[in-house]
Amino acid sequence: MSFDADEEILQDFLVEAGEILEHLSEQLVELESRPDDMDLLNAIFRGFHTVKGGAGFLQLNALVECCHIAENVFDILRKGERRVTSDLMDVVLQALDTVNEMFSQVRERCEPTPAHPDLLAALSRLAQPGGDEDVGETATVEPAEVPVEDVAEVVSDDEFEQLLQAADAPSSPAPANEVAAASSDEITDDEFEALLDQLHGKGQFAVDSSAPVAAPVAAATPVAPAPAAAVAGGDEITDDEFEALLDQLHGKGKFVVDEAPAAPSVAPAAPLAASSPAVPAGDNITDDEFEALLDQLHGKGKFVPPAEAAEPANAQASVSAAKPATTSTKPEPAKPAASKPAIAPVPAAAAPAAARAAAPAAADKPASEAETTVRVDTARLDEIMNMVGELVLVRNRLVRLGLNSEDEAMAKAVSNLDVVTADLQTSVMKTRMQPIKKVFGRFPRLVRDLARNLKKEINLELVGEETDLDKNLVEALADPLVHLVRNAVDHGVETPEEREAAGKPRTGRVVLSAEQEGDHILLMITDDGKGMDADVLRAKAVEKGLLDKDAADRLSDLECYNLIFAPGFSTKTEISDVSGRGVGMDVVKTKISQLNGTVNVFSQKGQGSRIVIKVPLTLAIMPTLMVMLENQAFAFPLVNVNEIFHLDLSRTNVVDGQEVVIVRDKALPLFYLKRWLVPHAFQEDQREGHVVILTVGSQRIGFVVDQLVGQEEVVIKPLGKMLQGTPGMSGATITGDGRIALILDVPSMLKRYARRI
Amino acid sequence: MKILIVDDFSTMRRIIKNLLRDLGFTNTSEADDGTTALPMLQSGSFDFLVTDWNMPGMTGIDLLRAVRADERLKHLPVLMVTAEAKRDQIIEAAQAGVNGYVVKPFTAQVLKEKIDKIFERVNG
Repeated sequence: MSFDADEEILQDFLVEAGEILEHLSEQLVELESRPDDMDLLNAIFRGFHTVKGGAGFLQLNALVECCHIAENVFDILRKGERRVTSDLMDVVLQALDTVNEMFSQVRERCEPTPAHPDLLAALSRLAQPGGDEDVGETATVEPAEVPVEDVAEVVSDDEFEQLLQAADAPSSPAPANEVAAASSDEITDDEFEALLDQLHGKGQFAVDSSAPVAAPVAAATPVAPAPAAAVAGGDEITDDEFEALLDQLHGKGKFVVDEAPAAPSVAPAAPLAASSPAVPAGDNITDDEFEALLDQLHGKGKFVPPAEAAEPANAQASVSAAKPATTSTKPEPAKPAASKPAIAPVPAAAAPAAARAAAPAAADKPASEAETTVRVDTARLDEIMNMVGELVLVRNRLVRLGLNSEDEAMAKAVSNLDVVTADLQTSVMKTRMQPIKKVFGRFPRLVRDLARNLKKEINLELVGEETDLDKNLVEALADPLVHLVRNAVDHGVETPEEREAAGKPRTGRVVLSAEQEGDHILLMITDDGKGMDADVLRAKAVEKGLLDKDAADRLSDLECYNLIFAPGFSTKTEISDVSGRGVGMDVVKTKISQLNGTVNVFSQKGQGSRIVIKVPLTLAIMPTLMVMLENQAFAFPLVNVNEIFHLDLSRTNVVDGQEVVIVRDKALPLFYLKRWLVPHAFQEDQREGHVVILTVGSQRIGFVVDQLVGQEEVVIKPLGKMLQGTPGMSGATITGDGRIALILDVPSMLKRYARRI
Repeated sequence: MKILIVDDFSTMRRIIKNLLRDLGFTNTSEADDGTTALPMLQSGSFDFLVTDWNMPGMTGIDLLRAVRADERLKHLPVLMVTAEAKRDQIIEAAQAGVNGYVVKPFTAQVLKEKIDKIFERVNG
């Protein structure tokens, strides 16, 4: 592979073809439920086709090869010569996986490994017309192929050229044989002059404007398809042939309706063709067939009654044996087109094929807009976002200063700045938004494969795919969601037998939904499976030593469900290769906490489970609760904050060595944040203080702080290199009064400082 | 010479555009399928059309037919970009009035030859 090919183009290709491949994966799964959807088949065909085309230019030959065969499979499918089966889908999906693999290799600038020969062989088999209903067709195609190959060996391009020239002969006054021997240039040039004239006439219906020239030229034309079809290795056309074809065809643009003169002038052409070097080819065409062809070609411009057209159609099919089954069907749909030449001055036979291809495509996309998008490197967006962040901070400071200023003009300017900055911030945020579809798109395939593996029947529904959220979030959510969906399929939904026994429909249902709720995104994974049993979870937690018996018994059912997020907790006794290693759920939890999100489980035994994930719209800006410890500001992510109140600290209790505060009959562990975060602070006995109640996982915890400043939207700045990874701190920000506040990461802080909670 | 490049795959448009640029044709515009291309052709004075065959919306062959059916555009030289030199297809395109075709992938040199040939014909 040559990467001297423009690196930029390769980048473009990777992005754009990557999107196509993502789509393909969705479309393929969709295809299984709608195997006869023509639009879909066409779209998939085009997907492989486009990737192949791009890969060709980048000399990614392995990729080209695999896509090419896959494309052929879909060509066969859309022609109805084979039906979609799950086995076929398995192979095709495997092919897509392979393509994706190659793709990631290319992404790493490696030579893609060619697809496994077995896979290619399997694909190639599928790329042949198959199925019982096609027996007749294949039977006619096969014998035809043999002589055709012979011919292809015998007839060289040059010979073919001569053949074509011979066919052109009637247009020249010179004797045909001499013409064939002479260089083709003269003929074509002369002819071309005439052709151009005719071509001009083409748009009009000047049937006999240049009759003398038109007749012979047109007469030559029908010959072209005949040798073309006969010699045809069936598919590839050479430049020379094309040139010749053009020469002939342009003559044909004329609507030479008069059959009588045309037919005789063809008659000499036929023997000429036969006498040319390509004798074997000529042998295949009888005069009768030839006549039929003629009729057919002329008929195109005319109003041929359908009944008549059918016959030449068959003739054509037998002559152009090398052309696969489509040819035989082509002339038939031509009838309707032929009946309205007024709007279609172009030869009608060509129309139906394209029309068939175009019509469904046009239906799914009525009018595509002119390109209005620009691709921008995300690093640049990050940079802009960062700068907007800085601007927001400055704005915050100015707003704060403006409050103290007496100057009215100043206040006005500041409030103006305030509004503009807020708008700018929103706009920039929007540029980073991506529909969650990007993540959801992979699930149909995932669920399909899993269900097939586990022999379950599952319907996946996607809701709210268009919900937009920050690009980084979309990426960060992918893994947790995959894990949760796997769990729902593996542990949640039962086998069809179990479901029937429980009086449920055989097919399970998994719903993946996304919606925006204020400045949050709500993601839900719901299944109608067997649900969870709180008692089993309790027992398990005790058995694993995560909780003692008393503590476990005290847990509410809801808290029990959330136990599944505890590290080292898995109720599945056997480990399946799908999920159930017991490491996943707490990783999911950690990951979502890192996104300042929360995750909760709801379940009802026998009815199913629902996992609810809540994440902020963006990672760059975070609503926080500012608190003070001594003179230092700290920010709690607001998403964790449950409530705040003022507490007389003498009214706390100690349970099991841990200071607790009773809030609405619940004992919550209470910590003094200052003791953790402000070393050497004067350890006075606080008589009263402000308590912030935070939710961490399924647990609530109270923190005593010195002062509550209030709610503030902050722009998160990563900590400097030296401080990165400091437990309990996720970043820093500059407050409105120009001071630095540290943003607290509650879970990691608890891990570091709390002995046990 | 003002050239319109029509392809639904923007990478491909870019490739063709670069190749044309290498050949000294810098005045190019792009459209992503026949439906967008046609109004552009009708309103802009294009001298040459390079179109892909297989596109959603309106295919290259349909675009070609529409061009040939348009009184003002019917003489516009058209180069069709195809994935294979399938005889059926080329004949179909030729019948529809194409001036030349080029098979993907191609080099600037091949493209030049094709274009030269077309204009030799058109001007000849």
